[in-house]
Amino acid sequence: MRKNKKTGIVGVIITTIVLVIIVIMSNINIEDMSNVESILSTLVMPVQNGITYLKNKIKGNNDFFTDISALKQENEELKKKNDEIAQQLREFEIIKAENETLKEYVNLKDKYTEYQTVPAYIINRDISNYNNIVIINVGEDDGIKVNMPVIANNGLVGHVISVTKNTSKVQTLLDTSSAVSGVAGTARDTLILKGNLEQENMLKGTYIQTTASILEGDKVETSGLGGIYPKGITIGTIKQIINTKNLSNRYALIEPAVNIEKVETVLVITN
Amino acid sequence: MKKAISVICLILTFFLIYFLQSNFFTWFTIAGVMPNLFIILVLFIGLYVKKKMGLKLGILFGLYLDIVLGSNIGIYTICLGGIGIFGEILSKNFSKDSRFIVTLMVIISTILFETTAYILGILRSGGSLELIAFFKILLIEVIFNTLITIIIYPIIKKAGYYLENLFDDKFMITRYF
Repeated sequence: MRKNKKTGIVGVIITTIVLVIIVIMSNINIEDMSNVESILSTLVMPVQNGITYLKNKIKGNNDFFTDISALKQENEELKKKNDEIAQQLREFEIIKAENETLKEYVNLKDKYTEYQTVPAYIINRDISNYNNIVIINVGEDDGIKVNMPVIANNGLVGHVISVTKNTSKVQTLLDTSSAVSGVAGTARDTLILKGNLEQENMLKGTYIQTTASILEGDKVETSGLGGIYPKGITIGTIKQIINTKNLSNRYALIEPAVNIEKVETVLVITN
Repeated sequence: MKKAISVICLILTFFLIYFLQSNFFTWFTIAGVMPNLFIILVLFIGLYVKKKMGLKLGILFGLYLDIVLGSNIGIYTICLGGIGIFGEILSKNFSKDSRFIVTLMVIISTILFETTAYILGILRSGGSLELIAFFKILLIEVIFNTLITIIIYPIIKKAGYYLENLFDDKFMITRYF
């Protein structure tokens, strides 16, 4: 019985470790390997420093015999200064963060002067793996209504699907049931942009005309069709065009201009 | 009185899970996929509390999620209510003493819940059916839920038997004699 209990605890610990490892491994980017590099170098550094110290000593470095008490005093003073600087740095960081948020608001307002807008924060996100809906902190009391477009600094985010007194639900472009009419490139070829499960954080551009001359790197904007989104709001950039045997079935993968997974400040267009 | 306090505790657990899901599990993901702890909670209620409590609380929790976060009212309500009934059916037919059996129940419930929610979502909103991508996400979610169930099984077992004793008066007699 005791053995079973012990085995159970070991099992729980092992499973927890496995879960944490899977989460870390599945979310790691190759660029993030610099962290691993820094950990490895941290492991090696003490040995490396020791070797360098010995090497210098052998070379006849007499600095080792300098006045130790003077060095200690100097060290104390430097530590004190360091604490003061660290405190100042923390204060600057707070001010910087506040400044960034305010700047974001001002920039957003200046960029879309032709629209009447209401600034908002994203306060919650959908818990489902299959939908992409966010909750913002403005509602009926702020003049928000269903179907109003929502934008961020770089472009379109989505549209309002339901409103309460103080909050609104926004269906983002990445939601699988969202569809936006867009125009791409200088030829203004039309396409329909939809969210999809297959390519995470990408939009699928379908219904591309067979005569369309879209290219990778072309900017995509809203066409103004459909009655929800105004014309000319940036949606994203064409990253890849997938050609199929039947030309009418080809589609494009579009990277949204706004990082919807990370955006925090948005504007709701009210006119 | 004890029963009422237990139900309140279950509702508080739901809110704890809600905050975990919308904060912690938005970054603690496997390849961008979150687990679904609501399924485990409602299945747990159905398995141990019985008396249609799984159905009742499943509908209540589902309705809350539909109103606060969902794009269509009814999907979470139907699915979580269904998991509550499913838990009760499983409770009548299978033993809950084994970690393996409980984990298996979570796996089946996750598959049933997500498949129903996905199909209902498509029917209601008119999105396109992407089966391969759906199965990929579902597989990761099942693995995630399985690992969490294995980790929290000791808590499930302890709390479960406490609730089972509390809500089922006949339970003590049939269990020990």
